[in-house]
Amino acid sequence: MGIQKILLAYEPVKINILPVLKEIKKIKEYIEREDLIELAKYFDLSVEELFSLASFFDELKTKPENKIIIRVCSGNACTNEGAALVRRQIELLLGIEQGNDAHPKFKLETMSCLGLCDCGPIVMVNDQIFERVLPSDVDDILSSYIK
Amino acid sequence: MKLITKNWGEIDPLNIKAYQNKSGYLALKKVLREMSPTDVIEEIKKSGLQGRGGAGCPVFLKWEAATAEKLQDKYYIVNLDESEPGTFKDRAIVDNNPHLIVEGMTIGAYAIGAKKGIIYINGHYVKQAEILRLVLEQAAEKEFIGKSIMGSAFDFEITVFSGAGAYICGEETALINSLEGKRGEPRLRPPYPAKEGLFGKPTVINNAETVANIPFIINRGAKCFNNIGSQKSPGTKLFCITGSVKNPGVHEAPLGTTPQELIFNSVYGGGLREGKDFLFAQIGGSSGRLINRSKLDYPLVFGDQDLPIGSGAIFVADTLCDIKEHLLSWAGFFHRESCGKCVPCREGTYRLWEIAKRLKNKDLRPRDSENIEDILWVLERSTFCPLGKFAATAWRDALAMFKDKIFK
Repeated sequence: MGIQKILLAYEPVKINILPVLKEIKKIKEYIEREDLIELAKYFDLSVEELFSLASFFDELKTKPENKIIIRVCSGNACTNEGAALVRRQIELLLGIEQGNDAHPKFKLETMSCLGLCDCGPIVMVNDQIFERVLPSDVDDILSSYIK
Repeated sequence: MKLITKNWGEIDPLNIKAYQNKSGYLALKKVLREMSPTDVIEEIKKSGLQGRGGAGCPVFLKWEAATAEKLQDKYYIVNLDESEPGTFKDRAIVDNNPHLIVEGMTIGAYAIGAKKGIIYINGHYVKQAEILRLVLEQAAEKEFIGKSIMGSAFDFEITVFSGAGAYICGEETALINSLEGKRGEPRLRPPYPAKEGLFGKPTVINNAETVANIPFIINRGAKCFNNIGSQKSPGTKLFCITGSVKNPGVHEAPLGTTPQELIFNSVYGGGLREGKDFLFAQIGGSSGRLINRSKLDYPLVFGDQDLPIGSGAIFVADTLCDIKEHLLSWAGFFHRESCGKCVPCREGTYRLWEIAKRLKNKDLRPRDSENIEDILWVLERSTFCPLGKFAATAWRDALAMFKDKIFK
């Protein structure tokens, strides 16, 4: 419901569309169809236009995501420091595979560079960032998420 | 020689007084009191300052084009959407001396006559966006931005806009599209943004590092700046050195410095870590070219077609690295970040990524090596924006250098 409250803080001009979508993402985990319809009215756009925007960006989600998302950076700097071994360790520990949705609780993805290349390999679990991760750290990092 | 990193670590980045004590905002004062907008453009032209984002075209060209437009509402945008893998120089500027960007930006806006400014920052840089908002408040309090700046007739407002995690939005027309609430897909140029940019208004977009050079040029004069670096491309550059070197991080060096110097000199990269041997370096992030030992003493300057300096990232790989892993890294990156607007890039990067995975898992199909050639050929020649071409660069060089290793 909170979307009305967000709209109060933003004028209905085009430059505010992306910030509003990001705000919605902050309070809800994903952007619902009803939200898009309401936004379309507010910004005087078609729902299609808004959906094409919301589905374009990495940070925005248009579907519910009940899983814990683990991201391992696949940039060259992180790869050089052994990101592939870290990824392999995560795959072994959780019995999942990158890009495969089958696991009910976890999802392993790659991510775009965070600009932390001097502290690699970088692993992100939901919104939390871990730096200089070794394969031996994987157990510790994930233990709080495995119940 | 340090222009941008000069006061790093010595001053408190969040204290405007500390910046002012190091002659901060004096350049802005000088510009507003003594110089006309044309003077400023002339000064920048004489200095030979080139865009630091990658393309390296002279800054004054965009400025002159925007000044020639009659429309009153102009935008000045600073591109801080740094997402080239291996690049974090703009983040370092914000972390260490954010007022440099604010001052340089205000001078640039004065030169082109813009009243509205936007700092477009990478969506991942949450802390840096906060820093920028804070220093903008400080600058507004001291009347360095806002209405009638320092008692002059010049108004300029700056807002911070966070991206949402798309590499392609670093391309200036895609950046404009995402500001307008559209998909971050590049537009056809011309019209160039300087003529018809954000909301159809003349818009100048400069990289954050470019802008950070401006206060120095105004304070010390174009001639002084012009004497630094190489003749073809003056000034210094922030190099982000990563990989198997002893001191990874941001290092400032004059343009025209060789990779040999940057990687092995103890002032910069410091050589390779113990037990590691140099194999190749990649210049300019994931979209840059690879060089082996024989090209290490090739000076890095802007505008060089053979070895583009790109964002200034230098990635160093050692002989123990798995080249197939890196091929997968490049292909995976461009596959994920391709915006989907044009077919050659969307499909080409996808197929390249599939082949990279098969290479890694050692189940290459008979036609794959032939297909790689075809895909690279298409990517290099027919994509809408440079992203597709970049996707082929590293692969092309890697195939030329390590063919035996790759298809072993």
